[in-house]
Amino acid sequence: MTTAKAKRGSFVPNFTSRLTPPLIALILAIVLFLLGGVISPGFVNANQAINIVRLAAFLGIIAAGQTLVIISGGEGIDLSVASVVTLGAILTFRLTDGQDALILPVLGLVMLVGAGIGLVNGLGIVFLRIPPLVMTLAMAGVVQGVILQVTRGELEGETPDLMRTLIAQPLIGPIPGVIFLWIGLGIAMWLLLERTPYGKMLFAVGINRTTAMLSGVRVPLVVVLTYAMSGMLAAFGGFVLLGFTDIVFLNLGGRYLFPSIAAVVVGGTLLSGGKGSYWGTMSGALVLQLINSLLQAQGLPEATQSIILGVVLLVLISIYGRQRAFRL
Amino acid sequence: MNQANFRRLLARNSYLFALLLLIVVVLINYSRQDNLFDPSVLNRNIRVFLPLAILAVGQAIVIIGGGIDLSVGAMVSLCNALLVTWITPETAGGDILLAIGLVALVGMAAGLLNGIAVAYLRLQPIVTTYATSFIFAGLALTILPRPGGQLPSDMTGLYRRLIEVEAFANIPIIQDISILREIPPAFIVIAIILLLWAFLRQTRLVQYIYASGDNAEAAYTTGIPVQRIRLGTYVISGFFAAMAALALTMSLGSGSPTSGDAMTLDSIVAVVLGGTRLRGGQGGIAGAMMGVVILGVIRNIISFYDVPTWSQTLVDALIILIALAGPGFVRYVSDLIRRYRLQGGRAA
Amino acid sequence: MVTLSAQHLVKRYGGVVALADGNLEVQSGQVVALIGANGSGKSTLSKIITGVVAPNEGQLLLDGQSVSFSSPLAARQKGITAVYQELSLVPEMSISENIWLSHEPMRYGVRLDRKAMQKRAQELLDLFKGTIPASLTPTTPVYDLTPDERQIVEILKAISQDPQLVIFDEATASLDSAQVTRLFELIEDWKSAGMAIVFVSHRMDEIFRVADQATVLRNGSHVGTVDIAATSERQLVQMMIEGAAALEREAREPVAAGAPIRLDVRDLTTEKLRGVSFDLRDGELLGIGGLQGQGQSDLLLAIFGAIPFQGALTLSGRRVHFSHPRQAMKQDVAFVPGDRGNEGLLLIRSILDNLMLPSLREFGTPLRMQRARSEAGAVSDDLSLVMASLDAPVNSLSGGNAQKVVIGKWLLRDPKLLLLNDPTKGVDVGAKGEFYKLLADLRHQGTAILFYSSDDEELLGLCDRVLVMHDGRISAELAGENVTRENLVAASMGATHHDASHHKEEPTA
Repeated sequence: MTTAKAKRGSFVPNFTSRLTPPLIALILAIVLFLLGGVISPGFVNANQAINIVRLAAFLGIIAAGQTLVIISGGEGIDLSVASVVTLGAILTFRLTDGQDALILPVLGLVMLVGAGIGLVNGLGIVFLRIPPLVMTLAMAGVVQGVILQVTRGELEGETPDLMRTLIAQPLIGPIPGVIFLWIGLGIAMWLLLERTPYGKMLFAVGINRTTAMLSGVRVPLVVVLTYAMSGMLAAFGGFVLLGFTDIVFLNLGGRYLFPSIAAVVVGGTLLSGGKGSYWGTMSGALVLQLINSLLQAQGLPEATQSIILGVVLLVLISIYGRQRAFRL
Repeated sequence: MNQANFRRLLARNSYLFALLLLIVVVLINYSRQDNLFDPSVLNRNIRVFLPLAILAVGQAIVIIGGGIDLSVGAMVSLCNALLVTWITPETAGGDILLAIGLVALVGMAAGLLNGIAVAYLRLQPIVTTYATSFIFAGLALTILPRPGGQLPSDMTGLYRRLIEVEAFANIPIIQDISILREIPPAFIVIAIILLLWAFLRQTRLVQYIYASGDNAEAAYTTGIPVQRIRLGTYVISGFFAAMAALALTMSLGSGSPTSGDAMTLDSIVAVVLGGTRLRGGQGGIAGAMMGVVILGVIRNIISFYDVPTWSQTLVDALIILIALAGPGFVRYVSDLIRRYRLQGGRAA
Repeated sequence: MVTLSAQHLVKRYGGVVALADGNLEVQSGQVVALIGANGSGKSTLSKIITGVVAPNEGQLLLDGQSVSFSSPLAARQKGITAVYQELSLVPEMSISENIWLSHEPMRYGVRLDRKAMQKRAQELLDLFKGTIPASLTPTTPVYDLTPDERQIVEILKAISQDPQLVIFDEATASLDSAQVTRLFELIEDWKSAGMAIVFVSHRMDEIFRVADQATVLRNGSHVGTVDIAATSERQLVQMMIEGAAALEREAREPVAAGAPIRLDVRDLTTEKLRGVSFDLRDGELLGIGGLQGQGQSDLLLAIFGAIPFQGALTLSGRRVHFSHPRQAMKQDVAFVPGDRGNEGLLLIRSILDNLMLPSLREFGTPLRMQRARSEAGAVSDDLSLVMASLDAPVNSLSGGNAQKVVIGKWLLRDPKLLLLNDPTKGVDVGAKGEFYKLLADLRHQGTAILFYSSDDEELLGLCDRVLVMHDGRISAELAGENVTRENLVAASMGATHHDASHHKEEPTA
């Protein structure tokens, strides 16, 4: 076969084929960071690096579920993550009420609630065939509605000290706990996607549902499970975010909604499903956070920052977010 | 056979479910608000719906063509900011028209940017239009850093006044129906859009939009310039965003750099409520407009049923969720029945 | 009059050469068959001529003048069009809208003339009158059509453009024999009206029925062009495959008497099946024949639990009723679908991932990758799968090798009952031979095989018993010396068993 020969070809095709989107994103992140040093001296230092990784970690954790949902294909997307993040944070804030002993039981409950919300998303998408975009959008409204209904705008509670210590404050050396948490999640996600039957089935479902079904994959189950996991991970994201913000407000998760999708896409995961990785999403989150920090460090007006962010995003997705051409 | 016919009926008239839903919500509204059909009340309601209705038309066309536009809200904000910057209470009539024309061009240029990125650079529509929405939002904020501006009262008045149809005043039956004697201006706008669509639906351009959205590959091999058609849908969407901004500005009388931001997702929900599937190639704009009215009337009902403030979001979202689930639920149940019949009795 | 000449066309995708030296010549009133094994470049050559693909080198001469088409539209404006196998229809649109798409008759220059569209679509549909259901009208939406009906719409769509040159790219693959016969009559008409026709096909008998000349490609290069009248099937096959690996088939052999019954089907009913009953023994290769779309796929899918059904299935003496393939798989049932790309493979995933897919649960959590790799390696060796490595994506494989992956993923599970849905469709001659040998090996190991094929030759050559299906029923069961071409064809057309065979027909109450 020709492929056997092509494999032993020159170094160049081999190299470019290894230059996968996650790697491009990571290289880009490093370049951006160094660029920051050139533009505003003092940007490049260990503290700044740790701070950026810390901020990216929150986005990265929140985008974990989004990665799974987008890989599952079928126009898969989860717009309810923001509301679930908010709900997760508010529940933790209120139910622990500052007591360290309650952290673990509350975390369990919070993740269960998130999984339940995701489950409803999955059921609506699979059995009622509501497009994921609108199903999860409507669910976002419902969750936001429940938050308002229950709290009536009065957000009482307290963040347990232990959470602050473990998540936001330096844990080992100058590195805060959330970074270790994120790395742990990255390893867990890699295992989930590459070393479990579920992960392999998820990719199969994302590429071709008929093939998956005829190979014995219970497609509806995999899809429902994926949305449930997305809900669970978003709720977990809310829990972690609380350790950083200390306080809660009604739109706490709102600013993570579209960035969670952008991080996934910038990390090279196909929006059409079936191809991607969480390590790509991690790189994507880093890139987005770096751009944000860079823009802020320049002290530009909000309007200019917004325009530059838009242009940079366009450039990023045009590097490898391109779809197939008609004419070959 | 009956089921196939039913399916075909729904497929051909995708807005049927929306129409049904529309009648139901209007009746519920009417039961609490018996002056709903008074010209002035109707005018007040429909005036509020109009900007989103216009916006949803553009969104529907993009979606039918196989894309999606997450930047429409930011385009509305941008055009709103431009309108109040270019038009002040002192602006002369001719200059107002010029300003409106320029804003329409800005909207189309914004759509052109989306269209080039999606159709020619082949970027994924969701993230692309999300990225460009930052650009448009940033421009809006640059042009109009804080809410303000004021339109001439003639202009806002034009939008608020009912249009009296003198000719109908003496025709026996019509003169008793107040809404036909005094027509809200928004009705005229909607009627013009629907008539224009009815005409365009029979042209090649729209035929090609449907074909490109349904099966782009097939459309291309058949010789349809799919890329140009895709580009066109985004430009159209930009134009409608500019017109939505005009309606919004005339309705508010002033501007805000974030005035349209919340309309993006509503426009998509309205399109889907109207029976257009997100995959493209099917649906229509009448359904999208019905979707907008349904969203608006639901909010009306909530206020007329004295739903407590803290529960309004929940009730609103739940009703929308149920409305979205409706067609799927009907299909799911009919599938179950079919399965049951197949396993119970002999299939014919 | 028109003459088209393709000279030394070359098309490369990255490092892969799809077409190395494409030559073809065709003129008005002539049918040229374009043949070659899978991956020989037929499709690429066709697509260059119709403007879908741009060549890297070479030239295209139309009436002696060099032309280059920038899009399918440009080719069509010169009177060149194609009937595609991967259909180019728009499902939500009606038959008439599809036929006239992009050359709609207009009124006042702006509005579609729907009346004219429908009237002329009806005239075109009438060309196939008698071979398609009368319920088909110009307003029927395409998503309601069966594959053969879609293919016919595709043909009519090309013809509606009054082309000077038409390429039929495997256009008969999903048509039944009555439809093929009708098409060939029409091709004769079109030919005498001055149309030039390029006919791409895998079916030898059809080439000999319809073509005047045959142009043969091998590995992307032009091997030769011969007059059909002056050649033989054997010669063409030898031109297509290097070294002339002959079309040897395993002699069929009867099942060992007393082999246990693996599968017993009674009164199987689905939307398409109307009461099907038969049994299948271990080590038996039971063929299913008949025209396309008579319920053969439904039968296999129902047994595999992929579609709902009614009736009694007994597997090795135990009553079963699978509602999902997963359950069937647990009982050692395997299903090889006919449509590789859409039903059998995950094209962008690696060969290893594809081979593992049905057996994932068996490799545990976390997946034992070493074991999976060695088992997959063993299976691919058995199948002599030609590949760069197990980690190469499946879409880097040729058609025949890709089909081996579809079968290999089930061999990993050691199936006792193998369901095959037209597995050699679009597979080249060489790979078919290897496949037949594999079936023989499996039989010797005692695997029961239920084998649907749209290729009558295959059934005749391999099976000792053939069930012929017509309109959702078994119209005849042929066995032993009754397995003849005449009986098969007669039963396919729905003839009763009196004419077809002396064998007892199953009651289909």
